[in-house]
Amino acid sequence: MSEKKQQVSRRQFLNYTLTGVGGFMAAGMLAPMVRFAIDPVLQTHARGEYKAVAEVDEITTEPQRFDWTIDQVDAWYESEVTKSAWVYKDEKDDIIALSPVCKHLGCVVSWEGSGDYPNEFFCPCHNGRYYKDGVNVPNTPPSAPLDVYEHRIEDGTLYLGNAKPRGEA
Amino acid sequence: MKWNKIDITRYLGAQEYIDTLLIPLVPIALEDSEQMNQVVSQHDLIQAFSNEVEKDFTGRIFLLPTYTYLFTTDREQELPRLNEWINQSQHRPFKHIFLFTFDHHWKKHESKLKGNLLWFPAIQSGDLHSNETQKVIKDQVKHVKELVRSYW
Repeated sequence: MSEKKQQVSRRQFLNYTLTGVGGFMAAGMLAPMVRFAIDPVLQTHARGEYKAVAEVDEITTEPQRFDWTIDQVDAWYESEVTKSAWVYKDEKDDIIALSPVCKHLGCVVSWEGSGDYPNEFFCPCHNGRYYKDGVNVPNTPPSAPLDVYEHRIEDGTLYLGNAKPRGEA
Repeated sequence: MKWNKIDITRYLGAQEYIDTLLIPLVPIALEDSEQMNQVVSQHDLIQAFSNEVEKDFTGRIFLLPTYTYLFTTDREQELPRLNEWINQSQHRPFKHIFLFTFDHHWKKHESKLKGNLLWFPAIQSGDLHSNETQKVIKDQVKHVKELVRSYW
């Protein structure tokens, strides 16, 4: 019996206990810190819901308007809101989805909305114009490019998320 | 722009661009059940209508809260009050004033109104949310938008 007790010396016993307790404490401190650090990765699906908007085959190099509805919760109401986007493929075959909301005062722009300005988005309210890539034509009322929707393609279907101002997208 | 806090702030900062005022006209009835039904559907429709038009032209149209009056009052008597609303709007740089309504009684007094009366025959098909009704409304709204644009 006494020989067996000798196998763990007092010094070793203290070392083990201290390492163990210290380990727990370190883990207790690190775990929340790690959780904070990887938080953005875990968050991606929580916000910015994507909605199926169109089939990829439908999309051409000519901008087309697609409408879809989302449930929007304002402080008091939950309502169905119709959203729209002008969607086309650019020269590199990338899909571009532009928000139709004019950056001047919020009217709805349309592709080739005026016969005088082919190949441009046109805002009927104050003759605001945007080039095909959504950049505002200088010397027209809008002061910023059209917002761009975040997009994702799954199984040949285009999903759109939130519209982001140019630069952040 | 709508009649709410956020839009008013925006409006006051950009008044010179918003030159079109939109007033929906809807009668109220409480006595006769049939009339109630009729005016309620007018109200629903006009709401949908004006919101759609405002949505596309937010930056140029100002949508006032609905002008309501009793169905049973003679429209002739309503004229001065409505015209006073329009007079008040002249404190702001509005150039075009549109009065949207499904109430045909106004048509007779059109010439005495100080705004452009746009009267539409109401769609009485009941369910505003059915796909068919929505399609009809969207189509009508499209024409109304073209009409409004033609005045600019």
